[in-house]
Amino acid sequence: MEVLTGWWDDYFWGAVIVAKVFIASLSLMILFGLIGAGAKLSNSRVAQKIAGAYTVIFRGTPEILVILLLYFGSAILLTSIAQIFNPEIKFVDVPPFWAGTIAISIIVGSYATETFRGAFLGVNPGSIEAARALGMSTLQTFIYIRIPEMWRIALPPFGNHMLSLIKDTALISIIGLNETLFVAKQAITVTGKPFTMYIVVGAIYLGFSSVITLAVMAIEKFGNRTTIDAK
Amino acid sequence: MDSMTDTETRPLIKMIKVNKFFGPFQALKNIDLEVYKGEKIVICGPSGSGKSTLIRCINRLEEHNDGNIIIDGIELTDKVEDIDAVRREVGMVFQSFNLFPHMTIAKNLMIAQQLVRKTPKAKAREIAMLYLERVKIPEQADKYPIQLSGGQQQRVAIARALCMRPEIILFDEPTSALDPEMINEVLDVMIDLARDGMTMVCVTHEMGFARSVADRVIFMDAGEIVEQAEPAEFFDNPENERTKVFLNQILSH
Ligand SMILES: Nc1ncnc2c1ncn2[C@@H]1O[C@H](COP(=O)(O)OP(=O)(O)O)[C@@H](O)[C@H]1O
Ligand SMILES: [Mg+2]
Repeated sequence: MEVLTGWWDDYFWGAVIVAKVFIASLSLMILFGLIGAGAKLSNSRVAQKIAGAYTVIFRGTPEILVILLLYFGSAILLTSIAQIFNPEIKFVDVPPFWAGTIAISIIVGSYATETFRGAFLGVNPGSIEAARALGMSTLQTFIYIRIPEMWRIALPPFGNHMLSLIKDTALISIIGLNETLFVAKQAITVTGKPFTMYIVVGAIYLGFSSVITLAVMAIEKFGNRTTIDAK
Repeated sequence: MDSMTDTETRPLIKMIKVNKFFGPFQALKNIDLEVYKGEKIVICGPSGSGKSTLIRCINRLEEHNDGNIIIDGIELTDKVEDIDAVRREVGMVFQSFNLFPHMTIAKNLMIAQQLVRKTPKAKAREIAMLYLERVKIPEQADKYPIQLSGGQQQRVAIARALCMRPEIILFDEPTSALDPEMINEVLDVMIDLARDGMTMVCVTHEMGFARSVADRVIFMDAGEIVEQAEPAEFFDNPENERTKVFLNQILSH
């Protein structure tokens, strides 16, 4: 175990980065998912087509490829824009944190698009009609009837999307984000102990995913008290 | 004209030459109907004849395409304020109960009072309990819909409509989704309401209920009102051939 001495704080900061990526990408993933679902449910043919292409493309390509393309693609784009103003500039560095976070949010957001769309369509239309017949406004019906029914439907797949995000964080090490897997690679070059170093990474990720799983289970239990016979 | 005679001489529901299309398909054809305060109307007819469509036009769950629908003096048009005003006057009970699954029974009865009538929470709960007692299930107040039987859920749905103190209640086949042994507990509540003078429009094939409660029975077929008469006349002496065929089918069951 003493091979790990001196690496603990690096792992700790690596884990902090994992947490940061997770929180940022979770917010963006929800945003992309809601926009995608809204577009698919809208009356606009164009919006439907764009959202359809979005889900087909990002559910059908390897995640690591999306991360690489977005990282290098945005670097090339930003460099050529910068060169318009200053031809001396050779290369603009894109922060791997943001390139990676946005990439995995887009990818998992394409799955969330289907989840949110399904949850919207899964709400019992009878509930909505009952609310309207009682004189509730469209907004009141949305807030008090549709959303509470929707999140119960969306929660189980949404839990899986959160697990995907946390695991995809490790992929961002490929573009130089110093999260735990990146730390492990450095430690291996110094110590020559790959198995030990990777096991630590595994334990950290398992810790994160366990917390997520337990949280989803707790929320599900709260939501299900109304749908499971609790006599 | 003073308002007293106004409400007595003016129908609560007035439909004039109402037509309703779903795409090219005409679901309602030239519907003329007047319902006065305290009247109980039963609508029957084969499946797909437009019964649901007719009563759903009354609270604008469906939009009619032409003709006029005037509820308690308010004409239904695109105007949202008018639609809201009509919905405050008209309660509805659905075949499939349509309780809000994520709310307790009490909350199901309180939510619209709080949001639409702006009734304070404590008062809303008080009114909810009053009507739960009226449908004889006050002890279920803090359970969730899924924990109740179908008959109990439908009684809750009636209580929910009553909490809004409507002038009119529409029933769309309220007992069709129920196991036979639960039908009577719901009909009893409806009979009780009728005795109390509630204005009711009921789509139902419960002919015993129609005979004992209805002031008028309406028979619909293919989007038209084919025949309407007092129950004794309607059942014992139907005029139209289509009514006779329908009654034979229903009564032979
Ligand atoms: N939303 C709709 N879109 C298209 N057709 C509909 C819709 N609702 C009802 N219809 C049609 O209108 C006719 C009357 O339906 P409905 O009023 O539900 O009949 P009933 O309640 O008498 O069984 C049926 O032929 C039905 O298929
Ligand atoms: Mg019907």
